[in-house]
Amino acid sequence: MDRQQDYVLRAVEERDIRFIRLWFTDVLGTLKSVAIAPAELESAFEDGIGFDGSAIEGLTRVYEADMIAHPDPSTFQLVPWRGEEHSTGRMFCDLFTPDGEPSLADSRQVLRRTLGRAAEQGFTFYTHPEVEFYLFQAPVDPDNLVPVDWGGYFDHVPRGTGQDFRRAAITMLESMGISVEFSHHEAGPGQNEIDLRYADALTTADNIMSFRTVVKEVALEHGVFASFMPKPMADHPGSGMHTHVSLFEGDHNAFYEPGTPLELSKVGRSFIAGLLRHAAEITAVTNQFVNSYKRLWGGAEAPSYICWGHNNRSALVRVPMYSPGKGQSSRVEYRALDSAANPYLAFAVILAAGLQGVTQGYELPEGAEDDVWELTDAERRALGIEPLPTSLDEAITVMKSSELVAETLGEHVFDFFLRNKRREWTEYRAQVTPYELARFLPSL
Amino acid sequence: MTGPVGRTSRNRPSLAARLGRAGVREVERTERLLADPALTAVVPETTDLPGLLGEVADPDLAALGLVKVAEAVRSDPAAKQARTALTRALTGPGSGAARLLAVLGASSELGNFVVTHPCAVRAVLDDAPAVGVDPRTVRAELLAAVGADPDADLPVAAPGGSDGVDAMRVAYRTRLARIAAADLVAADPLGTMPEIAAALADLAAAALEAALALARAELDDHGAGVRLAVIGMGKCGGRELNYVSDVDVVYVAEPRDGTAEDEAMAVGTRLAASLARACSAVSGEPALWPVDAALRPEGKDGPLVRTLASHRTYYERWARTWEFQALLKARPLAGDAALGRAYVATTQPLVWSAVTREHFVEDSQAMRRRVEAHLPRAEADRQIKLGVGGLRDVEFTVQLLQLVHGRADETIRSGTTLTALAALAAGGYVGRDHAAQLAQCYRFLRVLEHRLQLTRMQRTHLLPTAPADLERLARSVGMRVQGAAGLTDRWRSVQRDVRRLHEEVFYRPLLPATAQLSTDEARLAPEAAQARLAAIGYRDPTGAVRHIAALTEGLSRRAAIQRQLLPVMLGWFADGADPDAGLLAFRLLSDTLGSTHWYLKLLRDSGSAAQRLSAVLSTSRYVAEALTRSPKSVMWLGDDAELEPRSFDRLWAEAEAILRRTEEPAAAALALRGLRRRELARAASAQVLGQVTLDRVSASVTVAADVLLAGGLRIARHQARQALGLEADPAQMAVVAMGRLGGAEMSYSSDADIMYVYDPGADETLAQEWALQVATGLRALLVDTAAEPPLELDTDLRPEGRNGPLVRTLAAYEEYYERWSSVWEAQALLRARPVAGDPGLGEQFVALADPVRYPAGGLSLADVREIRRIKARVEGERLPRGVEPARHVKLGPGGLADVEWTAQLYQLRHAHEVPALRTTSTRDALAAAGDAGLLDRDDVEVLRTAWELALRVRDANTLWSGRTDATHVDQLPHDRRTLAGVARVMGYGPGGGAALEEEYLRSARRARAVVERVFYG
Repeated sequence: MDRQQDYVLRAVEERDIRFIRLWFTDVLGTLKSVAIAPAELESAFEDGIGFDGSAIEGLTRVYEADMIAHPDPSTFQLVPWRGEEHSTGRMFCDLFTPDGEPSLADSRQVLRRTLGRAAEQGFTFYTHPEVEFYLFQAPVDPDNLVPVDWGGYFDHVPRGTGQDFRRAAITMLESMGISVEFSHHEAGPGQNEIDLRYADALTTADNIMSFRTVVKEVALEHGVFASFMPKPMADHPGSGMHTHVSLFEGDHNAFYEPGTPLELSKVGRSFIAGLLRHAAEITAVTNQFVNSYKRLWGGAEAPSYICWGHNNRSALVRVPMYSPGKGQSSRVEYRALDSAANPYLAFAVILAAGLQGVTQGYELPEGAEDDVWELTDAERRALGIEPLPTSLDEAITVMKSSELVAETLGEHVFDFFLRNKRREWTEYRAQVTPYELARFLPSL
Repeated sequence: MTGPVGRTSRNRPSLAARLGRAGVREVERTERLLADPALTAVVPETTDLPGLLGEVADPDLAALGLVKVAEAVRSDPAAKQARTALTRALTGPGSGAARLLAVLGASSELGNFVVTHPCAVRAVLDDAPAVGVDPRTVRAELLAAVGADPDADLPVAAPGGSDGVDAMRVAYRTRLARIAAADLVAADPLGTMPEIAAALADLAAAALEAALALARAELDDHGAGVRLAVIGMGKCGGRELNYVSDVDVVYVAEPRDGTAEDEAMAVGTRLAASLARACSAVSGEPALWPVDAALRPEGKDGPLVRTLASHRTYYERWARTWEFQALLKARPLAGDAALGRAYVATTQPLVWSAVTREHFVEDSQAMRRRVEAHLPRAEADRQIKLGVGGLRDVEFTVQLLQLVHGRADETIRSGTTLTALAALAAGGYVGRDHAAQLAQCYRFLRVLEHRLQLTRMQRTHLLPTAPADLERLARSVGMRVQGAAGLTDRWRSVQRDVRRLHEEVFYRPLLPATAQLSTDEARLAPEAAQARLAAIGYRDPTGAVRHIAALTEGLSRRAAIQRQLLPVMLGWFADGADPDAGLLAFRLLSDTLGSTHWYLKLLRDSGSAAQRLSAVLSTSRYVAEALTRSPKSVMWLGDDAELEPRSFDRLWAEAEAILRRTEEPAAAALALRGLRRRELARAASAQVLGQVTLDRVSASVTVAADVLLAGGLRIARHQARQALGLEADPAQMAVVAMGRLGGAEMSYSSDADIMYVYDPGADETLAQEWALQVATGLRALLVDTAAEPPLELDTDLRPEGRNGPLVRTLAAYEEYYERWSSVWEAQALLRARPVAGDPGLGEQFVALADPVRYPAGGLSLADVREIRRIKARVEGERLPRGVEPARHVKLGPGGLADVEWTAQLYQLRHAHEVPALRTTSTRDALAAAGDAGLLDRDDVEVLRTAWELALRVRDANTLWSGRTDATHVDQLPHDRRTLAGVARVMGYGPGGGAALEEEYLRSARRARAVVERVFYG
């Protein structure tokens, strides 16, 4: 830690860095940034940087607006789109109150706290997100979205903007030390997927925040517009963020146990059971906008029902194909999450749900073999397969009575989040949509 | 039995008897041993072996060892000189035999060493000095053992490899045996202890030097490209090592000209690792001790070897207080001497300015609390080093004082505990006497530690439990006569002394010179006193110094007693949330009580009273003010019974006595108000000290109000009669308690909600006039003048509220409730309880209220709806503007009102069929609803928990701030410092503000969820 601060100070000097951006995330997952000069860096490490948090969503109560941001030196990177000369660096921050307590409103602290809880049981939590997003022709016209191409899943699009775009984005991500596992054209026109490499959840969450920024910046450079909106076009698939998760005990993958069905250990099975049992409660966090539910309930392999399966592309929780004996890669894929979630909070509740299953020893229900979308309601009922909340309204109602989510987010974030989302729902409900006009105006 | 009969018969008394007297346990076996041919071959018959054995720790062991040694020197041809020496020592005068037997009897491990290396016998037997030897001599001795040239710039071992390692270890142990021998036969082991410890440290340093020479031998160029210095930390650094412990080191390296830094660091790391292996890895000879480099920058995660600049950067920027505490003992041990000196020169200024760094106060408080923590059950703890009153406590005390004062005074910077302690005394930072006593404790503990470790050469600090082991230990520290019991007693008393002396050396010198009892005592200069006060958490040390001076100066008996007490109280204040306020309040109290006899006696004789006083004064402004106001209350702190809430009957008897003896109405009312104030102070003191539960606090606050109302009403009736020229009351009159008073759920800040009822005799007009005068008179008596705190009366819950008449007849109430009553009035009546005046009338009122508040058949749906509607409206309207609802403990979601309305709705609906619901108590009503199956038991628990927590927050707000206005009372504080203080009052530890906040918000959220379900339905 200390050596890292030292390293940052030296790097700033050697590379002639003129600005350092201190990044943090508000409760809704929006990146916030404060720039400081290199001269301020040392005192920023020692005392933190004070700022007025009252203007920032969910960050603080009006009464105690003062916040202290402590940069985390292990996250130091150059910001590549600012050019090589007089470059800019960035670090993520943890937020504290003026008397040195971790801020109850900081989502990074929420994840840290939850990871700490897992660590008490000897677990570290790794995640591997597959981030989907759309590229549109710029400038975007909300009434007439034009994707940059009309390719499909894994399509190679000749002279494709997407391809160049992906190459540029990946180069930039790699230059920030963010490893990319995989990238390809997704099913929707202009839709892309980039997979971030497996890492501990805090790093991954930081990486997702950087990733969104990089994608937006590269899009600007390429004269296109990138969006992480969960469901921008009704007729095309939404942008999810399927996330592979696993627990490690030291160097050992705690999900892995050779000789068991799917080589899944008891910890792994209980973890999945926890995800399933608490799935509805955490949905408001993993799918936080009214638009998220258009994706969740838009068909086309969307994980609308609470069930798990092995390689079942319609299940909420999927245990991916395994290579026998490759125990370290045992993992579980949670498919509800979308690209617009606050990754810190989302990872925290996913971990908390799974951990609850592990500590309480939940039994894993039978897996789903069929495509659950093909089943009738009665069949699903008979199989005990419940749906996820169908709207933000339903999701926040379920979340409101969740001790698990309250405990994980902390009372402050929990309360703010619910109030904010209730307001979003109320505003949304008051809208008259083009659909309604088209459908009813002529006939009524 | 094949004993050497001849030998026995010639000695009077018998050999067996002499051996028994010497402390031999297995006499027959030892007799056999002494007759062993190997022994008789070297020991002349004239030697008084039993006499020699009597002096050693374990005579049985020594006898066995001696036989083995005799055998060894006989069978080993190389040990010819040793054999001669042995015979000579056992024959002639001199102390050689005593030394050998002492070693053999104290350490089986060293005994084995001598047996396997007979040549080493000579080192034990000869008279060459073992302590006070020039460290350079020792260094040369060990370097020579590995074939290295002590005078070379870079000594390199000749044999290298495991032979070299073994040679080094044998040389080490040979000298170790010599030191142990000198130690064990010392006439005054406690006096010799520092020299022994220094000799052990020098020997360890020499071993490190030899190990480094061995490490160099492994490299082709002997590591010529790097300058490496081994810095000692901990006991070795302090030149006060014991027989076996980890040797704490830090490595510093610099490239030599022409070598790149990277390469130099790599070579340095190899040397360091290889040096550690030479000392502690498995080899032919047993390992010496682990070389522990964990105190280096960044601990185990940091690089093993750093440059000087890198060390400096780390310490300048990142190091924490404990690291400077460790660095205080840094001393070059081996390797490049110039570099080692440069390291110390670089780091020392940082050590001595550590006191100015962030977190120093918190860290030093943690150190201090550790030393002052309460004694655990004595038997549970047998740790000499880390246990209560153990070595660590002495070291922490000394080091803390060094860090605090060493900045300004270079003379107290020694890394050696005893030297530093003596310097602190010489510099006037601690009393000479106390310093000497503490030093004596330290020496005793160290000698105990040394003897324990010698036995098996193990790194142990645990006092044994087996009687035989304790007996052996007692003999080894020269307590042969006192034995195991005596040793244990002495150890316990040393433990207690260390704790007591910590207080004496840490706090007593804070008293000003004018307050010293004798010239021997330390006198801290004002700056030094301020530094010490600031280090333990006083925010205004200048003010504190002033208060201390005022409290302790002068010749009065009070000053004398406070001089005794204040030192330890200063520590207790520092444990509270606000040390400065505690000290100030104590001074005020002391000024008021002057030299009151009982006060001084209480403080002097009851340790717990003084400690409790410190705790309440530094935690609760409310109690501090109450105690200053009526200082006699301090007496309670010495007596648990006095902190118990008083019953109504007991207080009422007191009130009646006041009424009987006081003629003047206003004076009588003031006396009654004083009575109430006293009871609030009692409840508050007990609550802050955690002596009473919340329900008993609310009950006693309510009882105090009840008594005041009953007494006040009697005075008011008397005044009204006089004003109207009446002989007797023209009506019966009663006061009915409502709200929190009715429910016996009052806080310190609660108003008294009441209604007046009267029952006129013949003259209704006169009765009304009289009753009205009584009511207005009562208010004046209870509220007017600031001489005593008022009890505000709130009569707004009466029929028609503020628009209704202040007093009503029983008949008028009856008519009103029959004709007009709305459901909220029925709800208000739920907590109606006659509290003063005519008991018969009170009963009649209850009889007419019951059908209203417990309506037959419960509530109509319309009434239920009405209550819900009113509640929903009140939620929006009554919250003060700008207040965050979730933090309002009275009206916010899940707050008091939520829970109480819920309980009341159940009462209104079901009390007609469930008698247990007919209660004025919220707690009882909730429980009754649970018992009757109307409310889920889990829900009852959630509601009760939230309600009690909200009440406790209100009480704590008052207790912490001393304020009783709604703004201060009804909210969970926003201000972090206030929140932390309130949390302390509620029993959270230091820094518990966030935890309290989280707990309250959680409990209120849960309660609100229940309320939404069961109240709003």
